[in-house]
Amino acid sequence: MYRAEIVMADREKVVDSADNQERTLNKLQARLAEVEQELDFLTYAISHDLRAPLRTLFGFSTLLVRKYGDNLEGQPLDYLKRILSGAARMETMIEELLKLSRVGRAEMRREQVDLSALAATVLDEMQAADPGRPVEIEVEPGLSCMGDQSMLRTVLHNLLQNAWKFTGGTPSPHIRFFAWINEGQRFYCVRDNGAGFAVGQADRLFRPFQRLHLETEFPGVGMGLALVKKIIQRHDGTVRAEGEEGAGATFCFAVGDT
Amino acid sequence: MKKTPGRMDILLVEDNPGDVELVREALSNGGVKNVLHVASDGVQAMRFLRKEGEYAGRILPDLVLLDLNLPRKSGREVLKDLKSDPALQFIPVIVLTSSKSEEDIIQAYCLHANCYVSKPVDFNQFVNIVHSIEDFWLSIVKLPFRH
Repeated sequence: MYRAEIVMADREKVVDSADNQERTLNKLQARLAEVEQELDFLTYAISHDLRAPLRTLFGFSTLLVRKYGDNLEGQPLDYLKRILSGAARMETMIEELLKLSRVGRAEMRREQVDLSALAATVLDEMQAADPGRPVEIEVEPGLSCMGDQSMLRTVLHNLLQNAWKFTGGTPSPHIRFFAWINEGQRFYCVRDNGAGFAVGQADRLFRPFQRLHLETEFPGVGMGLALVKKIIQRHDGTVRAEGEEGAGATFCFAVGDT
Repeated sequence: MKKTPGRMDILLVEDNPGDVELVREALSNGGVKNVLHVASDGVQAMRFLRKEGEYAGRILPDLVLLDLNLPRKSGREVLKDLKSDPALQFIPVIVLTSSKSEEDIIQAYCLHANCYVSKPVDFNQFVNIVHSIEDFWLSIVKLPFRH
């Protein structure tokens, strides 16, 4: 009898905790739906409402230059051009921010992706767009993984484009794409011998709008690696970066099994 | 319905005075002689189109340029009302908005917008777009009551 009571009491506890868990789960699901909706509103506000004042800024500065540019010279004209370039930059930043938000929510398709072929294509395109630069390229053949083809293309594009950009001032530039096994995990890496970055700054690289170089040296708003990280996170994977100032950088990613 | 020959009437439904001025600027050096009428919200736009109150005796526009996010009555509602009104539904409506959202685009076409154009931030592109609209809608296409 005593034993049976204990069993009953335990069972009630189990039922009770299952009820609790369900309630918590429901609450979390409701909260998630709420946050998703807020995110939708925010994205819409950024893409629509924030653009309007920017257009005003851009439009009227352009008109000033167009209509009254002949009467302006020296500092006033220089100021106006700075306003214009600020507005143009903000437009690019908004575009990039939207890309990040889209990548975070886009539907994913999992298929076998030939990374070596993708990397070779992307590098061919860069070479074609910038034929004057002799860059030594090495792509390890036969590398593939499961993932979303178009998202992984963005990953390779952004990593290789960075390598291309940051070897701009290097005497004999070299870009390599290869696989690397670390603690049983297979990483795919892009290595270059370009400008590199200051040791200890690797974490900052993957945050939106973080730049570790001067805009005048290497142009860009600083969203490429944040996009890479977001895409790899969606593939249940990890990213890592190693580099040294003036001695090149290596960026690696691994994707999860599922 | 009396239309002035050689002059196109455009109704711009836009609440942002900056954008109104920019459209006016862009239209002013285009090739087609036009008069720009402006309604700054959806209610005013419908009153203009239905010639109510202060708009009695006005002529119908040849073309409507419609923003989507408007005070009092949204551009979507204006579009819906206009396209379901037999007295107005033949007027071409060009949705001209900052939004590039897929949902807005689909919705606008479902509500029978004649085309959807996203306003660029760059003024030079903006001028090109307004000129393209002018060129296509006011000189290439055949509009009703304009023969």
